[in-house]
Amino acid sequence: MLSVKDLHASYGSIKALHGIDLEVNEGELVALLGTNGAGKSTTLKAISGVLRPVVGSVRFADEEIANKKPEAIVKKGISLVPEGREIFTSLTVAENLRLGAFSSYQRSRYQKDLEEMFALFPILEERLNQPGGQLSGGEQQQLAIARALMSHPKLIMLDEPSLGLSPALVDQIFELVSALRDRGSTVLLVEQNAERALKIADRAYVLKNGRIKFSGSPQQLESELDLASVYFGGEEGKGEVTV
Amino acid sequence: MTFLLRFLTRVPGRLTVITFAVLLAVGAVLVNSSAPRVWIGIYTYFCVTLMLVLGLQMFMGNSGILNWTYVGFVGIGAYVSSILSVTPSVKALGVPNMYPALVELHLPVVPAILVGALVAAALAAAIAWPLMRLSDAVGVITLFAALIVMHVIMTQWDNVTNGPRTFFGVQEFTTIWIAVGGAIVTLIGAHMFRESSLGLRLRASRDDRFAAPAIGISVVRVRYLTFVLSSFVAGLGGGLWAHYITSFSPKSFYVAEMFVLMTMLVIGGAGSITGAALGSAVITILRQGLLQLESYLNNSGVISFEVYGLTELGMAFLLIVMLIWRPDGIIGGRELHLPFLRRRIAAADAAETAGPTDPI
Repeated sequence: MLSVKDLHASYGSIKALHGIDLEVNEGELVALLGTNGAGKSTTLKAISGVLRPVVGSVRFADEEIANKKPEAIVKKGISLVPEGREIFTSLTVAENLRLGAFSSYQRSRYQKDLEEMFALFPILEERLNQPGGQLSGGEQQQLAIARALMSHPKLIMLDEPSLGLSPALVDQIFELVSALRDRGSTVLLVEQNAERALKIADRAYVLKNGRIKFSGSPQQLESELDLASVYFGGEEGKGEVTV
Repeated sequence: MTFLLRFLTRVPGRLTVITFAVLLAVGAVLVNSSAPRVWIGIYTYFCVTLMLVLGLQMFMGNSGILNWTYVGFVGIGAYVSSILSVTPSVKALGVPNMYPALVELHLPVVPAILVGALVAAALAAAIAWPLMRLSDAVGVITLFAALIVMHVIMTQWDNVTNGPRTFFGVQEFTTIWIAVGGAIVTLIGAHMFRESSLGLRLRASRDDRFAAPAIGISVVRVRYLTFVLSSFVAGLGGGLWAHYITSFSPKSFYVAEMFVLMTMLVIGGAGSITGAALGSAVITILRQGLLQLESYLNNSGVISFEVYGLTELGMAFLLIVMLIWRPDGIIGGRELHLPFLRRRIAAADAAETAGPTDPI
């Protein structure tokens, strides 16, 4: 469904990605792991068109989308939930949700979608007429995910959804992400919380310094690669420290 | 009853907008039937001003960008509509240097005002094309520069505008009814725009300039479209204003007038229609009150010297006080919301659904 080949990207003169290859098939939950600065968020930004220009190929549903405008990419069916819950804080919950739906707005479907979101995220129905800024961190994250789902994305990309949330809420968010996969969504998940992400992922990639260091199933990853070494530096491959 | 309540509260601001529209209409009837003549004039002027402030709110309030050029488009609406509507003989008298082709042009008032608004919108479409790409602070400075350019053209192009001299002889077309009708239509239009998809996307881009593109909003595009729309309302209001005031000069479309419009918008709350309408009313009342006070002080001999500029001082003072204590204006960034009404509706809904499903 999504196929990234030899993707290079940079912030000004600083190169952040040195040729990424990545594949997401329909219905899969793929985790993208790595430390701070490994290039995880950059990869998502490059795919979604927020970061341009990039060098290389990004194909989505047999169409080249590299260097397209973000609004065109959203229309093609890729939705990004950015890091740090970038909801619109002065707009109400209802308005935030409407914004998610505007690129494919159909009045009849809209009501049905809203009700589906309320079933997934009951808290949003209670808070419908409050400004997004008055919501707690966990509620804002739910709103950000709901807003992305409102556009009926073929692929939803989540950038560190558990960042800065209390442990109980982290559980809730991970349950939600696997629920998304179970209802048929294709998910590309970026996480620092590797252990938790691997429990729910079908496949995983590990990024380091802008390059893919590993790709395969979570089981393969645990047997071939020492996660601690990825996160704390040192030797690659199986080391003494076990996770 | 609950049906009406539900209709009025479904969209934010709907209740206050309808209330304002009804008040405007009732006010017009009252003023027209029982108030002194001078009040009818003040009320008409207020309605046209309200229209202009609402047009300003469409772009400035929803995008957060100070739109200094706005009053320039009001001027274009005023000049174009007047040049078209004034009869050739009066024009030849009033503007001796006017191009012969322009002198010959003549249209009835209504199409003249519409053409004025369209010309304002077309000019906005041309200059906004590069302007809306600029970042916020640079964009505002450029908008200010554009106002200066427009002012220089209006004062110097005496083959068209009669230069800095007064352009007179415009037909008095805008009655209290036309003005109040225009104000009500603009009120509802600005409200519908704010809640429309375009208005919502524009407000999202004001809220977070960088998150908006990530969900597929083209910030340049929504700003551009709204700027053109807002300038159309400016041109329309300018045409109605010119056909009320009947003679004007380029200084009516410059910084001082822009400042008044902006003060009205900011004091009420630029982010909402309710705020724009309330601010216009408050400032109009304040200005009229201070004008009365000024003429009383100068004519009654209570004080031994003359006072001038009380209105400007009063507005500046109010603006400073507001910026210190309520920088978002009287209403704030959101439409007035009434939680107690929502609770009543929710209670009514609950009673309704509980009723018929009761088994025994």
